[in-house]
Amino acid sequence: MKKIGLSFIVLFAAVFIACGEDSSNDEFQVIEEKDLSSLDNSSEDPITEPLKGGVFRRIWSDPPTLDPALVSDTTSMGIVAEVFSGLVTLNTDLRLEPDLAESWEISNDGTVYTFKIRSDAKFHDGKRVTAGDFKWSIERAANPKTVSPVAETYLNDIVGAMDVIEGRASEITGIKVIDDSTLQITIDAPKAYFLAKLTYPTAFVLDRDNVESGGKTWTDQINGTGPFKLKEYKIGERIVLERFDDGNSDMNGVQLIIMNLAGGQSMAMYENDEIDITGVGLFDLERVLDPNEPLNRELVIAPPDFSISYIGFNTQMAPFDDVKFRQALNHAIDKRLIAEEVLSNLVTPAYGILPPGFPGHNPQLEGLFYDPDLAKQLLAESQYPDSETRPRIVVTVPGRGGSVGLDMEVILEMWRQVLGVEVEIQQVEWATYLEDLNQNKFQAYAGLGWEADYPDPQDFLDILFHSDSKLNHGQYSNDEVDLVLENARINPDPIDRIRLYQDAEQMIVQDAAWVPLWFEGERYVLIKPYVKGYRLTPMIVPKLSQVRIEK
Amino acid sequence: MWIYVVRRLVWIPVLLLAVSLITFALGRFGPGDPVVVMLGNRYEESTAERLRDELGLNRPFVVQYGDYMWGFVRGDFGESLRFRGRPVRELVLPKMWVSAQLGFAALVISVGIGLPLGFFIATRQGNWIDPASVTLSLFLMSIPVMVIAPALLWVGCLKLSWFPCSGWGGFFDSRLVIPAVVMGVPGIAGITRLMRASTLDVLGQDFIRTARAKGLSEWRVNSIHVFQNAMMPIVTILAFSAAGLIGGAFITETILGIPGIGRFAVDSIFDRDYPVIMAITLIGSIAFVTANLLADISYAFIDPRIRLD
Repeated sequence: MKKIGLSFIVLFAAVFIACGEDSSNDEFQVIEEKDLSSLDNSSEDPITEPLKGGVFRRIWSDPPTLDPALVSDTTSMGIVAEVFSGLVTLNTDLRLEPDLAESWEISNDGTVYTFKIRSDAKFHDGKRVTAGDFKWSIERAANPKTVSPVAETYLNDIVGAMDVIEGRASEITGIKVIDDSTLQITIDAPKAYFLAKLTYPTAFVLDRDNVESGGKTWTDQINGTGPFKLKEYKIGERIVLERFDDGNSDMNGVQLIIMNLAGGQSMAMYENDEIDITGVGLFDLERVLDPNEPLNRELVIAPPDFSISYIGFNTQMAPFDDVKFRQALNHAIDKRLIAEEVLSNLVTPAYGILPPGFPGHNPQLEGLFYDPDLAKQLLAESQYPDSETRPRIVVTVPGRGGSVGLDMEVILEMWRQVLGVEVEIQQVEWATYLEDLNQNKFQAYAGLGWEADYPDPQDFLDILFHSDSKLNHGQYSNDEVDLVLENARINPDPIDRIRLYQDAEQMIVQDAAWVPLWFEGERYVLIKPYVKGYRLTPMIVPKLSQVRIEK
Repeated sequence: MWIYVVRRLVWIPVLLLAVSLITFALGRFGPGDPVVVMLGNRYEESTAERLRDELGLNRPFVVQYGDYMWGFVRGDFGESLRFRGRPVRELVLPKMWVSAQLGFAALVISVGIGLPLGFFIATRQGNWIDPASVTLSLFLMSIPVMVIAPALLWVGCLKLSWFPCSGWGGFFDSRLVIPAVVMGVPGIAGITRLMRASTLDVLGQDFIRTARAKGLSEWRVNSIHVFQNAMMPIVTILAFSAAGLIGGAFITETILGIPGIGRFAVDSIFDRDYPVIMAITLIGSIAFVTANLLADISYAFIDPRIRLD
């Protein structure tokens, strides 16, 4: 008996901690160890020598993969984007910049991109990067044997890419090597977001010898092209990145990045000088915001992530097949109150889909604002006004058995009080949740967010709401919206495109496909005063090479 | 006795077979699979099927199970699904070793304080020390790890700066202290109470009176006759604790940033990393079965009156 009791407690505690972990952002996970000489027991620890560029220490998590073709998450991205690189990149202002390509030309019809690869572009072992390397790398990412989860998302615009992804061909016809330093990529239609997609690791360049000789674990010995080399990776312990000195890099920049993967209390570790950056959680916020507290001087406000959390409705299932019922639920929630009183303003209420600061964000969007009378009226006009005959409503959330989140509890209460609509919560464990979500089995679902992969509205609206999209788990379908989204894909005029996306967004919001809940608010981060040049960005982009340690 | 040992040994493979079959079946037939977790919210059925083929998850259950077990008995624990291509052995064994060292340090604290304390309390039966100590030990046992770990961090690391706040540096490193205390303190209570009860039991036995009657000094009576006999039931507990060492402690490891097996095991369950789950379960089971057997055998040595057959 005691055994069972004990393990139950342990499990509950696990949940408690795990939830805290999940809700924290990668930017918030930070650590390292104070005394570098005692870092490791191994005799040949290379980190004991004094380093001129200094060391930057932070907490990170084990990356699901270090293979650029397989990256689909921010934890992997944070390392892969520093170790590898591609034709183009996003800088810390999220502007598109040349990377290994020094320039490119786009044909008049907007479908042929000709990239000129930098003559000094080289791998960490000194080998030159050629157009052929790019062709091989992208074809490898598309090859079904690579089983990339994102090849289709990022490469499908390239002519012939789908033939490779679906196993009908081994070469992508739309990628041509003109000469060693010239690469030509043809896409199926003039799509303005194509270059932005190339900033994702799926299109990064790899060293063929490195990949083929390394077998399944080739990422243990990476020969990349990024500003850092992967010096060490001990699963569950740490990752060490070392600056790649290609002769013209800034030698005052940080020399080593040590990422602690073992977890820990990041706030305590920061205060004890074991790490150089940490996020500030709700519990420490008050103390850190106090101007008399020495830590207050190290406080930095980070821009919000480009992400949104929401409650999704399955628009094919009763009672969510009725637009008025969905609208009623939207109008019944006082998001401002929840953001202020429950979530300490760490979030911004969301009425649209595109986050503030994101291309296409529309401040004039007409959201479904809090209006209890309108909500009651819409409910009365809907097919499901009567609680006796209304189908049972269950919202499913992922979790490990802890609380479902204060915001959800308050929302359910608001629905009950304003509309008299009773909603049940069902919490299921993550893998189970994903399985059912992918099969569109949920009547309503929450606890999910969407985070931008590249700064283009297509990444939110088309991917989440086009009726053919596999990620449209609410099976939302509006022919008019589909048409606008399809037009926006190929509209060459940037202003017109944005306008189309804003139209689509307005229709989606009006149809109440979701209850948009929160955009991430500003985040509080502590950074040691001797760390200079660390930019907090709303998306993961290569940025560690700009960091300097001035002790 | 040897017949008994052989009989027990014969049962071990049967037991492991049952454990492995149940664990394997729970993974395969339970909801969710590693591919779903890997693809996250970018899931596409066609990609998922390719991935399942590649990872061998589409083969019949019996083939997958047989394949895994055949590898296991040869010391090959398969390859991790979460950390694609990496041998499970390489992932699991170093982490178990870290947890084992930490667990051992905790056990030293529990036993080192618990045994003498329990004995001391028992010999002071009847005065205030006895109830006070029992209360104190109950109190210590009841503090959850989530409370004691941050409290010790605050005092030992932030206020006094005696120890670092996180990390692992091996058995002879100052970073061992906080986690060992966190994990060792609740154990003190259990061992103290057990030792107290067992000592009281022994004190009431006839042979103690005989020993005293023979004119042996109180110290000799206590150390040889009482203490040794009172140890008996503790051995069982210790054997199981020792087996549990490799299981690690999820919370302590997570809060204190220790690369042990506890956190890794929990994560591998949520990631549905079948080969890792199997390896941890099977190695854990082997450790428990072996420890149980050793405990039984050790009775025979400590108390010759016990006949195992």
